Amino acid sequence: MSKVVPLSEAVERYVPEGVGLVTVGGMHLHNNPMALVREIVRQNRKIKRLLTSPCGALNAELLIAAGIIDEIATSYVGFEHIGLAPCFRRSVESGTLKVLECDEAYITHGLYAGAGGLPFMALPKGIEFTDIPNVNKEYYSFTTDPFTGNRVAVGAPLKPDVALLHAYQADKNGNAVIAGAQFVDRYMALASKTVLLQVERIVSTEEISKHPQGTTIPGFLVHAVIEAPGGCYPTASHGAYEFDEKHIVEYMNMAKDDDGARNYIKQFITGFTEEQYLQKAAGRIAELRYGDGVLAASLSERKG
Amino acid sequence: MAMEFWLLPYQNGKDKTAVTAISNDPTTTWSRSELMAVELAKRLRNDDVTVMGTASAIPQIACRLAQLTHAPDLYSIAGGTCSVNPHLAPVVPSCGDYDLLRADTSLSLNDVVLLEGRADVLTVFFAGGLQIDAYGNCNLVSVGEWAHPMLRGPGTVGLPFLSRVGRILIYTQSHNPRTFVEKVDFVGGPGFLRGPADWKAAELPGGGPQLVVTPLCTMGFDPDTLRMRLETVHPGVEVEKVRAATGFDLIIPDSVPTTPEPTAEHLSILRALDTNGLLKGK
Repeated sequence: MSKVVPLSEAVERYVPEGVGLVTVGGMHLHNNPMALVREIVRQNRKIKRLLTSPCGALNAELLIAAGIIDEIATSYVGFEHIGLAPCFRRSVESGTLKVLECDEAYITHGLYAGAGGLPFMALPKGIEFTDIPNVNKEYYSFTTDPFTGNRVAVGAPLKPDVALLHAYQADKNGNAVIAGAQFVDRYMALASKTVLLQVERIVSTEEISKHPQGTTIPGFLVHAVIEAPGGCYPTASHGAYEFDEKHIVEYMNMAKDDDGARNYIKQFITGFTEEQYLQKAAGRIAELRYGDGVLAASLSERKG
Repeated sequence: MAMEFWLLPYQNGKDKTAVTAISNDPTTTWSRSELMAVELAKRLRNDDVTVMGTASAIPQIACRLAQLTHAPDLYSIAGGTCSVNPHLAPVVPSCGDYDLLRADTSLSLNDVVLLEGRADVLTVFFAGGLQIDAYGNCNLVSVGEWAHPMLRGPGTVGLPFLSRVGRILIYTQSHNPRTFVEKVDFVGGPGFLRGPADWKAAELPGGGPQLVVTPLCTMGFDPDTLRMRLETVHPGVEVEKVRAATGFDLIIPDSVPTTPEPTAEHLSILRALDTNGLLKGK
């Protein structure tokens, strides 16, 4: 059964207003599912809580800038070497955004626990010497290790209602190939009730089945496949194009205050359909593209 | 854990070749960042397995420099992409870059988190912070009260792992009293906690912080008090300047040598690795 749907329909159908926990894939300025994020901003869908990968970037920042999330569970939101994420910083400092403070290991283990139905995850010794469990009692707690009698930190399972993910390519059934780094995107797919997947391109099942070991997301986990070539821009799409540092700097300059952030959203997102956005960005994406067709060649030359 | 397959090899199509030749850049003047990379590299051992995280151009270059000089068997993991021994030249500023997959092999992020928990495989972690305190505790979360921060930082990412790694090497581009404080406002990366009694009682598997490298100086930790101690000042930097730039009572020995300058060999390797000039001009 084909799961291919247009972007706007995927968000209308699968991201209900006021949805509880949405997780967004990609890490730092890489493989952020920006087409999905932008469409959520266009449709102004309110989200109760957003969960990032260990390092959120523009994927979280734009949802914060649009004022559509109440809470964020994260261990990092920023633009790495480029600088801090202005709206994340401002919203937390002013108290308009609640943070569920996490660390990288907990997010990783918590998704694993969510995927596997584990009631909680015991965490390695060390986290109790940080302030994180003190400020996030919803996700971190302590119990007695039944094997040693020692006090042990535990983390709650993370079970997102909706995952927004990017993959390099998929077939119409949602069997998907993540090119390059998988970050924790696979575990987001494994742990979430509904998975929306944007891809650079849709290929035939015949093509996909040549590489079963590289097709790390099986279609049965995926609810909607959205073809969005260039859809990670201005972040990088591994295997396709690099992130646009110039544009990120432009965003940071514009988003120095709330009005500026609103102007950015109007100027770059809500004023256009995604198709129009990508048409406007096409020239820049072409400049950022990795060597033409190299990935395609490497895929077709490999024998399962 | 599920296996991660990397069916798609690194195929960038751009001409980014591994370093095979010595750079012919004849310049012998060096930048502060280049000196910092050399200082970090010198502390790396041939049997180390190192991990680094966000925005880690300096440690990335330090590990490559060590591999190309005294520690050819060292392994380094670029947290983010989690590639092992990236070959890349020029070095890239983002730890999650697709380019980093030009490497010996790669792990998944989940694998690296597991190995961090295991505590006996990974020997060095490169850390930093908005605040770093006298006992080497690091804070990337918030300045001021957590609930009402004066400055909200990006978040702690993998810093809790400091409690479990063999050696913590701290580096920062900011040596001022706002960064170097007596006590961090939020502990995200545990150093020697609040000192010897705390540290002993905690019985953590990690070895604690060993080194702090800044644009002004190289510091270690006093074995008795576990407080930060000045080791060397970089060429042209007065001890008084370091004292004034540090927001706590830094231990300063009677005699403080000057940090050795990078050698011509160091510099030629650095320049061959860093053709993007990430370490230049700072």
